[in-house]
Amino acid sequence: MTLSRSPSPRAGGGWSSPGLIPASGTTSPRGASPGSLSPGTPTGISWAAAKAKSDEVRGYPSFQTRNSGFFSRQRHKISTRFHSFRRPSSREYVDKDDYGRDWKSSGGGRGLICGLRTPIRRGRFRLLLALLLVWIGCLFCWPTIVQTYRRSPIGGGSKFVIILGSNVEGGVMEWKGAREWAVERNSIWNKKRYAKKWGYELELANLLAKKRYSHEWRESWEKGDVIREAMRKYPDAEWFWWLDLNTWVMEYDTSLQHHLFNDLESHVYRDITANNPLNITHPLPEFWLDELGRSLEGDGKADSLNMLLTQDCDGFNLGSFFLRRSLWTDRLLDAWWDPVMYEQMHMKWEHKEQDALEYIYQSQPWVRSSVGFLPQRSINAYPPGACDDGDDSVVHYQQDAHDLIVNMAGCMFGRDCWSEIYHYRELSNWLARSSWERFRHGLGDVYDRVTGKPKDD
Amino acid sequence: MQFALPPRRSPHPLPLSRSSRMSSYRRKQLKSVAVLAFAILSLIYLLHYLYSSGSTSIAAPAGTTGVVLVTLLDRRRFSESYLKKIIANREDYAKRHGYTNFFASVSDYDEAVGDAPMSWAVAPATRHAMATHPRSAYFFHLAANALIMNPTKSLKSHILEKGRLEDLMLKDVPVVPPDSIIKTFAHQKENDVDLIITQDGEDLNPGSFILKNGEFARFFLDIWFDPLYRNFNFGKAETHGLDHIMQWHPTVLARTALVPQRILGSYSHDSPGASLDGTYKDGDLVIQFRGCEDTEGRDCAHELEPYYKLWEKKAQSD
Repeated sequence: MTLSRSPSPRAGGGWSSPGLIPASGTTSPRGASPGSLSPGTPTGISWAAAKAKSDEVRGYPSFQTRNSGFFSRQRHKISTRFHSFRRPSSREYVDKDDYGRDWKSSGGGRGLICGLRTPIRRGRFRLLLALLLVWIGCLFCWPTIVQTYRRSPIGGGSKFVIILGSNVEGGVMEWKGAREWAVERNSIWNKKRYAKKWGYELELANLLAKKRYSHEWRESWEKGDVIREAMRKYPDAEWFWWLDLNTWVMEYDTSLQHHLFNDLESHVYRDITANNPLNITHPLPEFWLDELGRSLEGDGKADSLNMLLTQDCDGFNLGSFFLRRSLWTDRLLDAWWDPVMYEQMHMKWEHKEQDALEYIYQSQPWVRSSVGFLPQRSINAYPPGACDDGDDSVVHYQQDAHDLIVNMAGCMFGRDCWSEIYHYRELSNWLARSSWERFRHGLGDVYDRVTGKPKDD
Repeated sequence: MQFALPPRRSPHPLPLSRSSRMSSYRRKQLKSVAVLAFAILSLIYLLHYLYSSGSTSIAAPAGTTGVVLVTLLDRRRFSESYLKKIIANREDYAKRHGYTNFFASVSDYDEAVGDAPMSWAVAPATRHAMATHPRSAYFFHLAANALIMNPTKSLKSHILEKGRLEDLMLKDVPVVPPDSIIKTFAHQKENDVDLIITQDGEDLNPGSFILKNGEFARFFLDIWFDPLYRNFNFGKAETHGLDHIMQWHPTVLARTALVPQRILGSYSHDSPGASLDGTYKDGDLVIQFRGCEDTEGRDCAHELEPYYKLWEKKAQSD
């Protein structure tokens, strides 16, 4: 079949939109190859419809009252498609992007269509089709929809960034063995899974041993720089959660919003005397300070909280803490490291930035009112043995309380990081087992009890 | 093929007209749904915007007005008669322009300053003034070795008026003269300024500065007064401490404006280390007898006398 003129509705040739014809890409748009047009239809292209199509593509304002609305065009298309249900010939074109394609080819569907041929039932048929599409959509897209929602500003997930300090030292000081790599791999996987579930951003901080920080005054001061960089990288995020590599998120189902931020005031204590391992004088007694500087609880508003951290048995712990984007935080990150202070203290400040923070919390009154302390287990539970040798339930992870996160603090000093991480990984998997597994476990228990089998742990 | 079958133009116009009516009805429906959805979405966006903007903005010192003159009186270094003149000078200036005076005695801060030189007392004293007058907007610290020479000039018309500071600010100049590699920000705006200070030929000059009430003021005074700075044995105590934080902490520098020395603190002819155009000329707001209190062979009362007489004459004539 040859056409006297190009089938393209456009002047100068070219299809209105590539990919809408079969075998597009193999045929050039200008030289219409006969095989590409459907046989048996002498006027293979409906001129009016093509014109409407090209109008739609070109987007010219249309003042036609007839047949120009979206629905009327679609209606026409849909109804032409119905013909194909009636005589499904093997040579007929099948739209590969059509949702209903699988359904069409299924044998069971054909009989149904035959029953719905009468135009009166078309409405019901469409309804069924729509319902089916929605159902398929639910099945396949629901997790994506939920994740998209959680990431969106309404869901609030994008307000949180998890910064995971990884690749500590980069293997420069000590050889990184298989266990170190395993810790790293697993810890990253763990945070990725948690962040993905709730739509949080995850920033992997590469804490390589850089020359910039190797000077004795500036060892391991990357934290501040890394956080600042993350704040630049995620300009819409509000809270930045620093996590050391040796941590494990135990409860994937607990969101930060639900766990803390929906009702921050009730979780936070600002009066450090409630738990004061460092014996910090609080509130400050100086007569020349204003009320805010001398107050026990700051201004008491959740809005003024810009840093959330926990204390362990030795004082502040920075294995897991939150910073909020604010002027206050900029100032803190700026004041945190100072060469004159560090020159005097670097022999005493064993834990570097942690000690420095403790120091400026004590010496500079402006810091206090914006620092909130969380009960340790809420974001920084320790495994047994990490804090003294005791088993204080305030400090150590409690399985029954479903603590959010475990920090294997100090595991590199005489303990085994990988075995601890592995233990908590398995434990969290077991705690998060599905209801079916729970049911099976429960059934097994009952069976054992009935048969009198001794329970083996 | 997309258009598998040509649409058959029906000889009966009836179904066509019917469908067009249907479509117009549907179109209306669709339109209203779209408008409603758009309205809801924009409302959500607006609410979200309102909420999110509230959390990051910082409260300007709302509801604060007026100026407090902060003067530290060191009775161990200055004679009583000298201080009486300084007090008279400040009280006259405050009365003319409706400012408040805050006189503090250095000995009150003995315990706070500790073993460090007592000149460090300027930080807690200014903090004390802020605690005493929380509703005031500006705190003008002027050391006891300085005299206000132009009583009719108000701080507002001189510096604080809108647009005035923009002209005065020294941008992209070394923070500590003559050749500090840290320079003041070239793109700084008047609205970003919380601290207005001058420099002489060698250092910043904490003997005369204006500080805006607010969070920055608390932060700045607290970090300046940090015990580890006081114990560091800076050669010039709080002056070098100020030089240090200004060069190492960009969050401080970002809120600071440097102005030419004669705007806030002209030096007398006897004071060493004035900047290029920093010695007192008639009409300047302030004259500072820098170093008169602790330099061998200088006497503050003696240096003050001629200028005090000049000021008295001016004050009476206006």
